[in-house]
Amino acid sequence: MDSLFAKADAVKPLAKRRKTSHKASQNGSNSLRNAGKDSANNDYTAQSVTKHTSVPKSLLPTPIESSSGKLPKYSHIANKKLRGELHRQSAHNARAKALVDESADMLLVEDAGKIEVEGEMERTWRVGQDEIVQSAGQEATKGRKELRLDGGPYRTRYTRNGRHLAIAGHHGHVATFDWQTGTLHTELQLQETCRDITFLQDQTFFAVAQKKYVYVYDRDGVELHCLKAHIEPTRLEFLPYHWLLASVGNAGYLKYQDTSTGQLLCEHRTKLGSCTTMTQNLHNAVIHLGHQNGCVTLWTPNLPHPAVQLLAHLGPVSSVSVDPSSGGRYMATAGKDGTVKVWDCRNWKGVVREWSVRGSGSETEVEWSQRGYLGVTSGGSVNVYTPPSISQPFNGHVPPPLYLTHPIPSRPLTSLRFTPFQDVLTIGHNAGISSILVPGTAEPNFDSSEADPFESRKARREREVKSLLDKIQPDLITLDPELIGTLVEPSKLVTSDGKPATDTPYARLPRFDQLRVSGKVDTTEDPGSADEATGGGDGEGIDEEKKQQLREEKDKKRMRGKNKSMKRYLRKQRKNVIDPATVAIRAKLEKMKEEKRKAILAKKGIIEEKKKPSALDRFKRKA
Amino acid sequence: MVRISVLQHAPEQHLPTRPGDPTPQSRNLNPLMHPFARARERKRALNAAKMDRIFAKPFVAALEGHIDAVETMTKRSDSLVNIASGSWGGDIILHNLTTRQITQRVPQAHKGKVSGLCYASADRLLSCGVDRTVKLWSAGDDGSEGSLTQPLNVFPGKAAFNAIDHHRSDGLFATASNIVQVWDETKTSPISNLTFPTSTETITALKFNLAESSILASCGSDRTFTLYDIRTSKAERRVVMQFRATALSWSPTLPTLLLLASEDHNLYTFDVRHLDRPTQIYKAHVSAVTSCEWSPTGMEFVSGGWDRTVRIWQFKDGKGVQRPEVYHTNRMQRVTSTLFSGDARFVLSGSDDGNVRVWKANASEKLGVITARERAAIEYRNKLKERWAVDSEVSRISRSRHMPKTIRSTDKLKHTMLEAKRVKEERRRKHTRAGEAKPKPEKKKIVVAEQT
Repeated sequence: MDSLFAKADAVKPLAKRRKTSHKASQNGSNSLRNAGKDSANNDYTAQSVTKHTSVPKSLLPTPIESSSGKLPKYSHIANKKLRGELHRQSAHNARAKALVDESADMLLVEDAGKIEVEGEMERTWRVGQDEIVQSAGQEATKGRKELRLDGGPYRTRYTRNGRHLAIAGHHGHVATFDWQTGTLHTELQLQETCRDITFLQDQTFFAVAQKKYVYVYDRDGVELHCLKAHIEPTRLEFLPYHWLLASVGNAGYLKYQDTSTGQLLCEHRTKLGSCTTMTQNLHNAVIHLGHQNGCVTLWTPNLPHPAVQLLAHLGPVSSVSVDPSSGGRYMATAGKDGTVKVWDCRNWKGVVREWSVRGSGSETEVEWSQRGYLGVTSGGSVNVYTPPSISQPFNGHVPPPLYLTHPIPSRPLTSLRFTPFQDVLTIGHNAGISSILVPGTAEPNFDSSEADPFESRKARREREVKSLLDKIQPDLITLDPELIGTLVEPSKLVTSDGKPATDTPYARLPRFDQLRVSGKVDTTEDPGSADEATGGGDGEGIDEEKKQQLREEKDKKRMRGKNKSMKRYLRKQRKNVIDPATVAIRAKLEKMKEEKRKAILAKKGIIEEKKKPSALDRFKRKA
Repeated sequence: MVRISVLQHAPEQHLPTRPGDPTPQSRNLNPLMHPFARARERKRALNAAKMDRIFAKPFVAALEGHIDAVETMTKRSDSLVNIASGSWGGDIILHNLTTRQITQRVPQAHKGKVSGLCYASADRLLSCGVDRTVKLWSAGDDGSEGSLTQPLNVFPGKAAFNAIDHHRSDGLFATASNIVQVWDETKTSPISNLTFPTSTETITALKFNLAESSILASCGSDRTFTLYDIRTSKAERRVVMQFRATALSWSPTLPTLLLLASEDHNLYTFDVRHLDRPTQIYKAHVSAVTSCEWSPTGMEFVSGGWDRTVRIWQFKDGKGVQRPEVYHTNRMQRVTSTLFSGDARFVLSGSDDGNVRVWKANASEKLGVITARERAAIEYRNKLKERWAVDSEVSRISRSRHMPKTIRSTDKLKHTMLEAKRVKEERRRKHTRAGEAKPKPEKKKIVVAEQT
């Protein structure tokens, strides 16, 4: 037996951990290695095992010396296991973060574009498109384009990877093409008003907001669906991670259509009339609508009313955009009152910055780029502003320093889109489409798992299937996208003695609380709730009850202390029945009490005055 | 002077150089590039949990051949495919797991049931029966089905045998009847009798320790289990418990860890250095547990019970108990013996209906060749499940098991009874003077007495 125990101890101490080994591990890796060596030499079993169980050096976790000081200690947590687990987790997170930081210079190989001026008097906005095109590379110059089209003012939209462009003219000219190679996918003359266009999950499908309904076409321009639930649509948005097509129309209804199942998910009545402005927050899938009365409302599918409603302008809102570079923190709105305002979406207390646009264009469009550059159309030109100054609070109604400007003669400018992963800004206007080069607006390093401009056909198919599998349920759309995976708030349910119900398991709750938790409690018999039901006017009932309680308590106390047996007997006899024996005893007791009182008074020398005879004495019962 | 640089991607960096090459992948780990990362990961975890349940088809095969209930099974220690089983009818069958066919059959090996089987070496099988004999058979794997009639050797005993186990290295074996006897393979009478003084019980199961091979453990009908050392030829310790233990098994990795299957529906692991209480109690069966065996990895063990289920438990070494995996089928009756295969991928169960069933140890494991990509996907899914195990939806899906109505109702009834018992005890304690009746930890209630 002893040899067995010795062997067991050599493999691993099962019941009690010895302090010596613990100390060794604290001292550091060097001493640990020595200790390990010693024990291995002594013990055959361990020696035979270690060779095959040790982790290769390449897989050993790297020590985190640099950030070890920052690791929280969790010394306030009493539970050892929990503390250890938390410590392990935070160490793991720190290690992961260090790895990510390390990988950045390996993965992020491309640099963002920029314009730099040397002289103090030089300004970047003085640089014209010709100069930019001259200094740009062969590939980049492809981005500068002027398309003369006569379909009326144009709306444009890019796919998420920035490769494909869809355009819709107001008079029914719709086209999609790969704008980098210049190959046209389809071109349609729909012969009716087209107000907006959007791609669905990728370039293979697109939806057009036409005169009466929303229509879905495939890449080759074949009409697949007519969504008759969306009547007179004005704007469309597609939420790629939820597979939802949102539309808003002249009737002021916001409708969500699930494009993976084809169901109309929900429709919200905005009650604010015709709506012509819509955008989505890419980071939490909340829809922002701008209304005719100057309101901006934020919508999620699971709330029947706006999650946020704010009065942004003193006239109709003409354009809304959300900053993707800050995780959806800032929102820019433009109104027909000729102002552009920047809002903080976490704190709606007031505008962060506002300025009025020159040229007093009635149709001002705003759009944020991937890296936080803000494009604004003002009258006949497009202005681009650079990030930090846009969202810095500033008192005067002065625009932030201008980065770039480009005049476009054909008004109105109806659409403004920055190309993802390309330094290009595409403007849809009355005479077609023009795209200009704006250095620095696009994210230089794309992620192939999210959006790849150079994606092959097979990769596109695979991504489509994967994203369908990863489709997030629409109920999970909230203002805070990090809600999932956080701890549940503690329940507000309490037991009858005021403790939180979650502290005790259901089986150990008192029966009344069990019934209450399962919703089977009969509230009509609950004295407390009955009082509530009758209202505050019934004060006597409560008094009566209190008295009863007091009496019972008194009785209890009386029972505990010294007491007369006769009193106890009487209390036990207290009934509704009038028993002559009890009455006699009670009278006797009363008499004794009186005599006692008189004796005490006599002792003190007080002579009690006799009561004056009263007229009512004649009704007194004789003893 | 103005310096202008415009972003441009070089297509040759992002496109395959030759047709057929893989497309280069680029990564950007900025969290802003991955919106809804957490929500999508949860969705993937949910899908992983669902797929796990969809592909949970654990039943592999039923090995037929016995005409009566299977009583005992054993595996050859040096082979992954050879299994022997003995039944109440007295016949022994040697199965091949890969071909799922009978390699050898011994009809009427014993009169009455075959109560114990074990391999003496690669090609010799020992069996014991209630006909008071131990027989040694030649069990060579020559690939053809044949039947044996003559044993190599017969060891006569004085009482019906209940169990047999062979020594790990020497030519010794131990049998259990009303006493434990140690035999030499070359001698026809036992070389020593082991019994705890003052014990008059019937021994029902016994096993040699795997690390210290002279240590022997047995359990008996007197609600006891006993530890012997065959070098000193005496019983070292004996423990009396509340209920009878029916089967036992030594851990292959932790030498002092002993697993006991008990008639009170539970399994216990005992560290033999501390016999006053079990290290862990395993509760899930709704009827008496009749058999148990460790996986060769020592990470899990299997148990079969009177409730017609086979359960597979993860051994977490003092870190609590996970819900066991549970297997059942319509036609499987009370499970009398269970076995882990040598590669720890399969579980065998022998039951009263006369079949030996083969199950996967991991219900949703894919059999056959798995490519590297598939392996990576499986590992990713497992990690996701582990990471999101606390999510209510994910855990609900991975916990759900279909159970026969009888087992569910019995489980419910059992819970009600235990709960009532607990409440009663609590009330009793409430009405006794404070500090007089302390609640006793459940682990301390198990052992009645420890004797040396």
